[in-house]
Amino acid sequence: MRRTAPIIILTLICALLISMALAVALGPSGISFGSLFTSDNAWMILWEIRVPRVIAAALVGCGLAVAGTAMQALFRNPMADPYIIGTSSGGALGATLAIVFFAGTGRTVLAFAGAMIATFTVYFIARRGGKIPVETLLLSGVALATLLSALLSFLMYTAGRSLHQIMFWLMGGFWNIAWNDVVVAIPILIGGAGIYLFARDLNILALNEEDATHLGVNVERTKQILLALSAFVTGIAVAVAGSIGFIGLITPHVMRLIVGPDHRFLFPAAALAGAILLVWADALTRTFTSDMPVGILTACFGAPFFIYLLRSRMKA
Amino acid sequence: MKPIEIIDIDVSYGAKKILEAITFHADAGEILGIVGPNGSGKTTLLKAMSRVVARDNGEIRLDDQDLDSLGYRELARRVAVVPQDISIGFDYTVRDVVMMGRHPYIGRFASETARDLEICDHAMHLANVAHLAGMSVHEISGGERQRVLIARALAQEPKILLLDEATSNLDVSHQVEILNIIRDLAGEITVVSVFHDLNLAAYYCDRLLLLKDRKVYAAGAPGEVLTRENIREVFGMEMLVKPHPLTGRPYVLPVYMHQPGAGANRRVHVVCGGGTGSDILHLLHGAGFTVTCGVLNVLDTDYGTAMHLGLPCVAEPPFHGITPESLAGLRACLDGADTIIVTAMPIGRGNLDNLRVLLDYPTKPVVFYARDCTSRMEDYTGGEFGAMLANLEARGALRVEGAEELLARLSQDGSDRD
Repeated sequence: MRRTAPIIILTLICALLISMALAVALGPSGISFGSLFTSDNAWMILWEIRVPRVIAAALVGCGLAVAGTAMQALFRNPMADPYIIGTSSGGALGATLAIVFFAGTGRTVLAFAGAMIATFTVYFIARRGGKIPVETLLLSGVALATLLSALLSFLMYTAGRSLHQIMFWLMGGFWNIAWNDVVVAIPILIGGAGIYLFARDLNILALNEEDATHLGVNVERTKQILLALSAFVTGIAVAVAGSIGFIGLITPHVMRLIVGPDHRFLFPAAALAGAILLVWADALTRTFTSDMPVGILTACFGAPFFIYLLRSRMKA
Repeated sequence: MKPIEIIDIDVSYGAKKILEAITFHADAGEILGIVGPNGSGKTTLLKAMSRVVARDNGEIRLDDQDLDSLGYRELARRVAVVPQDISIGFDYTVRDVVMMGRHPYIGRFASETARDLEICDHAMHLANVAHLAGMSVHEISGGERQRVLIARALAQEPKILLLDEATSNLDVSHQVEILNIIRDLAGEITVVSVFHDLNLAAYYCDRLLLLKDRKVYAAGAPGEVLTRENIREVFGMEMLVKPHPLTGRPYVLPVYMHQPGAGANRRVHVVCGGGTGSDILHLLHGAGFTVTCGVLNVLDTDYGTAMHLGLPCVAEPPFHGITPESLAGLRACLDGADTIIVTAMPIGRGNLDNLRVLLDYPTKPVVFYARDCTSRMEDYTGGEFGAMLANLEARGALRVEGAEELLARLSQDGSDRD
């Protein structure tokens, strides 16, 4: 444990609260503090549009970062995140089905179901004699993600009128968030808390699976539970905000450099940083562009970071 | 009640049998070593004992309790494993890693108590890593990292400690340092360890289990298990087995066999003593010469070498001069020899007769062999030997220095004869 970790977490909590307050104040329709007391319209924009939107962005950022942290430790691979093992592809397909066939109703339930089904399909494909080697898990993830994206393309091809809606949703964003979406996103905190209970197990699993067994960790069951919780959290995030990439990859990585590898500190730090990152990404896109999907921004900054990570690991 | 008892277990990976009908136990507080060639199943046996590898059948009992009836955490409280150097991907501190040993004691909703910290400190102290506590596991050396893993295992407060060649990647001083730590722990803890190095196993273990082709070949005290015959049978190699001069434990040395070459069908007799002939006895034997030697005292190092190599040797009991019977034996050897080799040794009244006899064989080639330029034939006979030496050299006896020159000389003699 690094002695500075609790201080960093406190700092991040303050930073998140300030970021959320600023994000609420920012927006294309400039609202002054005074107008809140004089204009019902200003109050409406603030309370019905900006506040839920900022809270949802924070929750989704937190969820993606926590799921990414869990998967990186689970697979002992800092390149892993919910997108790589097919979890979010499953979620995206589920949500698209809802848009095409039910005009968007049940999007959350289907996205969540899709994420779970995809994760456990990969899990069972990768399973060999009661164990899940990491290599086969990642490869099955890539294979399934390819299949799912083909199905997704087919749906879009046949979608007709709702194509635009699917496209926009897939790129990921918070333009349509209302309070009921925030309610949908709240269970992210429950899933995240569940994952946090396994922080010590993950510290040990990060060494080596055989070694973890020697230290009393039931490796396969821990993997199953953590995969399920990660799929749960990712499924909700995808249902609420579409596919937003790279938050789950970058945040844990940067936070590991800052607070160290102990998951008891890494989880809260990554959760807070993920929330801050997405709150700002959303605030910037909606203020300075005509509400461009935020997934475009995270990908623009995330992909080069991923390449940098890959290169520096290849050198090491 | 045995701390660990293995009853007739089989283990296979897929269709491949790795272990067959293994039965043994460890006694409380002992160090039990598992030895055997690569692929004999040593590591797999250890993995079966830590339940990382499933067995096909048979039973493993810990304190009379079925291994399979124990939960993961319960098992980790009883059995700790020190693996071969593992790579630690994330940047943990030494204290973080040792604290992981407390995992089976800390509940999911709890965090470590003062007692856990105390146990960690004590474990680090025992494994001599307390001074490294705050350092990253990436900053310390391989030997230190191995001691950290021992401290982590001790933090588990186990009854049984399993070591999988825990020192194989280290240099000898670190191996001894770590094994000394382990030996100090035995007594309170029962240790089962896979060893690569037979000599370390022989020194540190109370008992050994020798595996061959998936099965137990021998078990017992190191002296009973590490016999020349067992080693030949299991490792397919000739080894000298001697008591270690300081510890009395068995000590094995490979007999580095050369391909039979120059010496085929040639006979040589070596007059030596005081260890001056051991190197060439081995060399000539390995090169295929038929070697005899003597007369030697049975306490002489060269006599021991001759016995290890199974060479005929004319010998006298301790502190005895050369008797007429021995001289007759020596003459019989000299009669059959193609070449006589005399090594550079001190000559006194006790062994002068060995050289006097040579005067009776004027036609046999005689070679005076010195291992290097420091080897001298010190004369303790008051000049008698000097005269004898001059006489032999006048008849054509040669001096050679170094084993290579000796072999070259002998092959030349061989071709002269042919």
